Amino acid sequence: MSNDATRPKIAIAGRHLAKKFGHVQALSDASITVPSGKVVALFGDNGAGKSTFLKLLLGIHHKDAGELIIGDEAVELHSVRDSQELGVDCVYQDLALAPDLSVVDNMFLGHEVPVRGALGRLGFVDRKEMEERADDALRRLSIKLPSLRVAVQDLSGGQRQAVAVARAVMWSKTAVLMDEPTAALGARQSEIVCDLMRTVAASGLGVLVVSHDLPRVLKVADDVTIIWRGKTALEAPAAGLTVPEVVSTMVGYQVGEAA
Amino acid sequence: MTMTDKNASAATIAVDDAADTRAVRQAHPLVRWLGASGTWVLLLDIALIALFSIISPGNVFWSLQNLESMLLAGTVTVLLALGIALLLGAGAIDLSVGSNLVFSSVVAALTIQALAPYGVPLAITMGAIAALLAGALFGLLNGVIIGLFDVNSLIATLGTTGVGLAAALLLTGGSDIGGMPAELQAGFGLNTVLGFIPVPFLIAVVSCVVLTVILRRTRFGSRTLAIGSLRLAAERSGVRVRWHLLTLAVMTGVLAGISGFISLSQFGATTVTGHSNDALAAVTAVVIGGTRLEGGRVSLAGAVWGTALSVILQGGLVIMGVPSFWQLGALGLVLIVAVVLDRIQAHRRPVL
Repeated sequence: MSNDATRPKIAIAGRHLAKKFGHVQALSDASITVPSGKVVALFGDNGAGKSTFLKLLLGIHHKDAGELIIGDEAVELHSVRDSQELGVDCVYQDLALAPDLSVVDNMFLGHEVPVRGALGRLGFVDRKEMEERADDALRRLSIKLPSLRVAVQDLSGGQRQAVAVARAVMWSKTAVLMDEPTAALGARQSEIVCDLMRTVAASGLGVLVVSHDLPRVLKVADDVTIIWRGKTALEAPAAGLTVPEVVSTMVGYQVGEAA
Repeated sequence: MTMTDKNASAATIAVDDAADTRAVRQAHPLVRWLGASGTWVLLLDIALIALFSIISPGNVFWSLQNLESMLLAGTVTVLLALGIALLLGAGAIDLSVGSNLVFSSVVAALTIQALAPYGVPLAITMGAIAALLAGALFGLLNGVIIGLFDVNSLIATLGTTGVGLAAALLLTGGSDIGGMPAELQAGFGLNTVLGFIPVPFLIAVVSCVVLTVILRRTRFGSRTLAIGSLRLAAERSGVRVRWHLLTLAVMTGVLAGISGFISLSQFGATTVTGHSNDALAAVTAVVIGGTRLEGGRVSLAGAVWGTALSVILQGGLVIMGVPSFWQLGALGLVLIVAVVLDRIQAHRRPVL
């Protein structure tokens, strides 16, 4: 779909990341590598540090130690805006869509397209142009919606999820992070979102997905990273890994450090 | 499974499953217009006008003179309601608009008094500018507390309501300032166009049109509704929510400042103690008109129809010789019905 020569090898990566909140060491030695064009699953038990990990990668929290890489280059992140400028976007678990706004207005929130000329400088938006571009972005992900002008609150759960994914893909140039994208969905809609991950990766972006939906995500992922008590316990290709193996690593049986 | 067949399976999936029947198409604009609660208030307005016109003694309700006095009576409330509706759209409120109005009118009156020896037109012009600036400054104070210090707007503006009124009383020494030049009333406050449209009412109309365009057609408008709909969504999208709230508070303040000047020019004097209910009257009009108290949905036209309802009830009952406190009760009843209808509609909406 895109020119691979212009793509960085590593879309986003974290190396030996550590983060402490007060006396709690949330992460001590967490690493993950998301190559461009691949889906990498991040698994971990509750409290293992998955969401802290994501927040360090997005710049929502600042790391105490370790290295962040975006687009093959070492970076320092101080806010979400920093990671956004480097082309990293996130599909949050709660989606962060404004329910009263239309699909178009949600997809362009914070990135509104001004009309040409003086009115554009006054902040007038070009809804027609925005609609065409949103339609285009949705179509590239093979997402069909009844209308782009309909309020997000009138969409089904799966459709909302699709809009959130499409929005993140639209504004990301290097990597898309997804936090529990299937947690609120039924079986059929979860399949659709997993297929979306493949489509997004096929377009050349790196996809990092945090999930508890092991069977489904194992099938769709290229690589798997498992963290246990703030440390990376396993980085391996998904092929050949079974759900029981993943689970036992998640709960710490094979790491030899069980307390 | 290899990369290639994973990619191949992904290409043709669409989110259009048959189970998703809850998803709706957008209704025809006319259907949506009829479905908006502001429309019902407009129809109620028209029905009441018809009713009062027929049953009022000698049909005096149906006269240009009565129309003029009703437009005059509604102008200030409409201006205050527009500001409150915008703030409500972003999930905030301003209860201090009445105090702001009083404060601004006092500042304008003092300015006019001081500059009157240098020429009446100059004094009145500077008075208008002073009222605008005073309103904007009052709004800025609200905006700093709400936006920058992140204080709940209800509490913040409850506080500035007292502060503003106290400032106005201190400036006037407790008694109203009168003795405004006759030109203020004759040339502006009580002046009319075509013999029955008060000049200040035209300002309210222009404000309503301009703000509607801003709300519907600009980035500022859609961000306002996004903040009220889900503040987190706006923040995550990089919208500077706090500065946005500050700007809205200043806009509301400017509208209150304009109202202060209009009030001064209608009565020819300040009315320091006469506006303690203005904010609540404006909130009532706004909510009756279909703006949601929790944010994310605004109807500026509805705010106008809601104000009209209160003015029509007041005028009609007075002409009928019914004690005007019935108007308060009737308005309260309509408010409750409007909100209950909105709740019923909200419960019918599918939730995730």
